[in-house]
Amino acid sequence: MHMADALLSPAVGLTMGAVSAGAMALSVSRINKDDLSDKKVPLMAVSGAFVFAAQMINFTIPATGSSGHIGGGMLLAALLGGYPSFLTLSVVLIIQALFFADGGLLALGCNIFNMGLIPCLLVYPLVFRPLLKRGVSYKSLTLASILSVVSGLQLGSLGVVLETAASGVTELPLNAFLLVMQPIHLAIGLVEGIITAAILGFVHRMRPDLVEAAQSVPSTPKVTFKKVLALLAVLTVLTGGILSLYASKNPDGLEWSIEKVAGTSELSAENPLHESAAFIQDRTALMPDYDYTSENSSTIPGTSLAGLIGGGLTFLLAGVTGLVLSRIKKKKPQFTRLRENQY
Amino acid sequence: MAVRDTPIHRLHPLIKLLASLGFILIVVSFGRYSLIPMIPMVFCPTVVMALSETPYGLLLKRCALALPFCLLAGISNLVLDTGTALTLGSLSISTGLFSFLTLLFKAYLSVITVLLLVATTPIHVISEAMQRLKIPSLMITLFEMTYRYLGTLLEEASAMALAYGLRSRQQKGIELRHMGSFVGQLLLRSFDRAERIYQAMKLRGYPAAHLSPTERKVSSRDILYLVLVLGSSLIFRALDITGAVNIIERLLP
Repeated sequence: MHMADALLSPAVGLTMGAVSAGAMALSVSRINKDDLSDKKVPLMAVSGAFVFAAQMINFTIPATGSSGHIGGGMLLAALLGGYPSFLTLSVVLIIQALFFADGGLLALGCNIFNMGLIPCLLVYPLVFRPLLKRGVSYKSLTLASILSVVSGLQLGSLGVVLETAASGVTELPLNAFLLVMQPIHLAIGLVEGIITAAILGFVHRMRPDLVEAAQSVPSTPKVTFKKVLALLAVLTVLTGGILSLYASKNPDGLEWSIEKVAGTSELSAENPLHESAAFIQDRTALMPDYDYTSENSSTIPGTSLAGLIGGGLTFLLAGVTGLVLSRIKKKKPQFTRLRENQY
Repeated sequence: MAVRDTPIHRLHPLIKLLASLGFILIVVSFGRYSLIPMIPMVFCPTVVMALSETPYGLLLKRCALALPFCLLAGISNLVLDTGTALTLGSLSISTGLFSFLTLLFKAYLSVITVLLLVATTPIHVISEAMQRLKIPSLMITLFEMTYRYLGTLLEEASAMALAYGLRSRQQKGIELRHMGSFVGQLLLRSFDRAERIYQAMKLRGYPAAHLSPTERKVSSRDILYLVLVLGSSLIFRALDITGAVNIIERLLP
């Protein structure tokens, strides 16, 4: 579910980055207010490392032969509370983006929102905690885990779909994308919900204090439906603004193809005027099929043989530059090493 | 690999971060069909890679891990966008192919930029840069400690998985019904470890004031790097390479 930089437009990436950074700042200030904050830090850090380890463990799904791994977001929220688990997951996502090339720098805001903010700051206080209000039991723990993991993943994948659609990089229609993403994540959510319930049940049996303490801490985020509505309204306005910006800049598929057809018809009408000059040019030019007027009216830049060849040459040039530079660099260290030995 | 001495490694970490972020922003801002005008952008990472002596094979391997999601999302372009962009003789190339390749190229450039940044900057330098950006010390400590215990817990998990594999009939993965106790066990071990770490930290005087990073001024070299990276990318963004081809063509007699 990690989004990549390439799927985002700058506007969407930066907006989501600002939203996530704001949420992180809020969480830091809330945790710093807590007296036990210095005790929480090692717990959060080790939990973050635990998420990595847990994601590495592959389980097999009986009778299907397929395997998968858990995400672990809701598990952390249940044990650490809303704000600490959100920060922990954010750091996990930052490390994944930097050191494992999972997601990207620009996509970090989206990923932290989809996989951290939604489960920890929305689903946990709105779904998980209310279900455990009447005491922690095996039954309530199972129900709460499955429901909240499923709803967290549904909202998260919805976020992925909306952010991709607002960026307008892929051609996928919104409906089709939703029809693919939501059922897949429903299945994933059910399996992960069951596993989360099993893990929490086990931990509750071994160390009931861990599970119960987390639910009794009053400092978890007080999210009311009013606040959620306000947040959703802000997000709607933001995405609406981005979408309309995008819509006015890039015409949709139909308009675009009309424009393209018009462009080419215009071209053929213009051609006779240039014919005499073009004739001489055709004879002498390196790339005779190249036509400047067609280039100007075409919506796709560089769609000509000359463009392709030019691009290929650029690629080659870049490769050769890299090779030459690294050759030079490889020769250099021998000298420095020699000098070091002399000292 | 991150601790080496090359012109790239010596750069100011903040400048490197800014340059990478700016570069990615420019890459992502290219239109969805601008594969050809985007090609010159490949220069920057290639030169940085050569200067920092980062092995290309390793970068490519890491890159390949990150591509599947983009591939999946981009395949729709191939299928749904079937306008003709270009005909070469009897061969016609669809607009979908163009946007698909553009997407992949963007993915390659953005991933390799992040990988190069991390390959040339040690983690303690990254956290120093974070400190200079006034990111709360809670976040920085969390970042450093999570990174520190990552390997430890991965080792613990793989030892447990090995033990499980030796005891069970099947060798591949953990059975679904054992996941609860398996991951639960790992979780309890992690929490116990956190408790021990906390006690050890307390004994050594935590929370002590964060050590202030060694002052490092931004040199003219750093500024030059930033200007070169962002300037060249902006020029490539504004100029169409096909336009350049055309100019050369015009100059030819």
